[in-house]
Amino acid sequence: MTSDCRCVLGIVLILGLAGAGSVDRAFAQSTGDSGETVVEAPSSDGGQRTGSDSGSEDEEGNEVDVSELERRLEVLAEEVERLRSGEDSEIELTEQEVRALGLAPSAAATYRRSQGVSIAGYGEMLFENFAAENQAGDPTGKGSQFDFLRAIFYAGYRFNDKFLFNSEIEIEHADEIFVEFAYLDYLVHENLGIRGGMVLMPMGLVNEFHEPTVFFGTERPVTEQVIIPSTWRENGGGIHGSVDMVSYRAFVVNGLVGSRFSANGIRSGRQKGSKAQAANMAFTGRVDVTPTPGMFFGASLYTGGSGQGDVVIDNTEFDIQTTIFDLHGQAQIRGFDLRGLYARASIGDAAELNQSLGLSGAAGVAETMQGGYFQVGYDVLSQVSGNRGVSLTPYVRLEQVDTQATMPAGFVRSLTTDNTYTTLGVEVKPIPNIVLKADYAWVSNDAETLINQFNVNLGYAF
Amino acid sequence: MPAICVIIVSVLLSVTGSAAQSGLITRDEALAAVFPGADVEAERVFLTSDQTKRAAALSGGEVPTALVARYVARRGEEVVGRAYVDTHVVRTKRESLLISLDPAGRVRRIDVTAFLEPREYQGAERWFRQYDGKPLDDDLALQRAIRPIAGATLTAVAANTAVRRVLAIDHVLEADSAR
Repeated sequence: MTSDCRCVLGIVLILGLAGAGSVDRAFAQSTGDSGETVVEAPSSDGGQRTGSDSGSEDEEGNEVDVSELERRLEVLAEEVERLRSGEDSEIELTEQEVRALGLAPSAAATYRRSQGVSIAGYGEMLFENFAAENQAGDPTGKGSQFDFLRAIFYAGYRFNDKFLFNSEIEIEHADEIFVEFAYLDYLVHENLGIRGGMVLMPMGLVNEFHEPTVFFGTERPVTEQVIIPSTWRENGGGIHGSVDMVSYRAFVVNGLVGSRFSANGIRSGRQKGSKAQAANMAFTGRVDVTPTPGMFFGASLYTGGSGQGDVVIDNTEFDIQTTIFDLHGQAQIRGFDLRGLYARASIGDAAELNQSLGLSGAAGVAETMQGGYFQVGYDVLSQVSGNRGVSLTPYVRLEQVDTQATMPAGFVRSLTTDNTYTTLGVEVKPIPNIVLKADYAWVSNDAETLINQFNVNLGYAF
Repeated sequence: MPAICVIIVSVLLSVTGSAAQSGLITRDEALAAVFPGADVEAERVFLTSDQTKRAAALSGGEVPTALVARYVARRGEEVVGRAYVDTHVVRTKRESLLISLDPAGRVRRIDVTAFLEPREYQGAERWFRQYDGKPLDDDLALQRAIRPIAGATLTAVAANTAVRRVLAIDHVLEADSAR
């Protein structure tokens, strides 16, 4: 029986007590008291509260102790309200109540614990229409694509006040299933928790908060796809918490796989928790400062080897030390929403990695990659009274990403890897859980190979 | 090594710690902090249909229950404040807020007494402080006088709706009481 069920049971009992003459009679017989009146009298505040210490006779002339009835009503109302509040994880049942349930004491234990299961989810569907010609005027032939990008369910379980499990199960493109995270949390203290399992890398603005209702744009910023490869998750554990205006997270996780890096970024180096190679481990963490509600800024770091024993030249193993850091900030004030991020990745032994992979010229993995964006949106309905939570937000995002910012000696940059994106769009939220976005992205690079596109995204979260 | 020992000891100690360490506060603790030295009387108010409708219209949202848990704080004969418990769903699980008001019906303080969603979605004390001293008016809205919580929009929406609901109920009850 859930707390809600118990609430309903309580209400039924209240109604029964308040309305059933048989209860009145039984009670009157048991007490034998008599006295004066009063039933429901308007309280001093105008609401209806139970009345005074008195008794009366019912229609059949039986004596009724109204004050005791009111006391019982008050007790039940208090119990209903307490059960509804969710404040008590343990609901104590009296022996009488256990018997009333018709259960042995052990079986009745189920009723003593409020249920700990938590279900939530989100999803998004993306329509992409590509321009007929690329920057250079060459036909693209890409047409349009309609993809149910993500359907996600969160499932969690609160074992008690200290331990909980949380997970995110994702179906991508309607036919690929992933575990996005699955961890156990142990709350040591109000300011400190310990987490272990498959965890989200605490990097950037989008990786941890990637629900479509949270970020602007029909697609995630490119920087947070190729430099910070969201949704980025690995196996490991560490600590998290907050102290006053500072929040932090610090984890040790399995490292990336450098042999999967490319000229286009490190995204393919994620191991996603599946039989992850762990010859090289990594540290990741972040610190954010929230000087005032609605505004925060901070930095994230990831550093660790990505060799995983795969990069060996002349019997020498290379760690492919990989370090990514970002600076980020966000402010949401009076309808304005401003966000900015800069991320930079450096890859050690890049020349050796390229040699190991047989890459040469402009196809090589870079020594450094970098990207950043700034975006602003304004909810034009935010200052309109009585908008009932509807928001209409035009936004613009300016972004530049270069996955070959610097190359190791002997390699050259490709003209296709330093890209700029200008995205102009609008999002509508009829309620905070549902968003419809539409935007147009103008893109460019020196090779003139990029293709502008118009996107529409329908997303939800609950 | 000493650092590891400290961590292990703190973990072991915390295993035996009380629920109070979970970051939530009990109603009694909150009421004692908000109204120090006052006599606090618990009431359960049953709203009439008319009061429910008026409160809903004032708040701009629903008043889903006629059973209201209220506390009235007095020093001597003087009412020094009132407090209400509002229980609502954030995503799929409940949150209970103890919303304390001053005698004029402005928010004095908000405490989270129950939060059954994952903790990362819970509003911080500093976020709730935005409401201190605020009356019920059009500006009491997200993206206006109240800034949202990054990454926890639904928590902010639920809390703001609850505050508006409590202020509206209090306004209705006080108005009827003055008649």
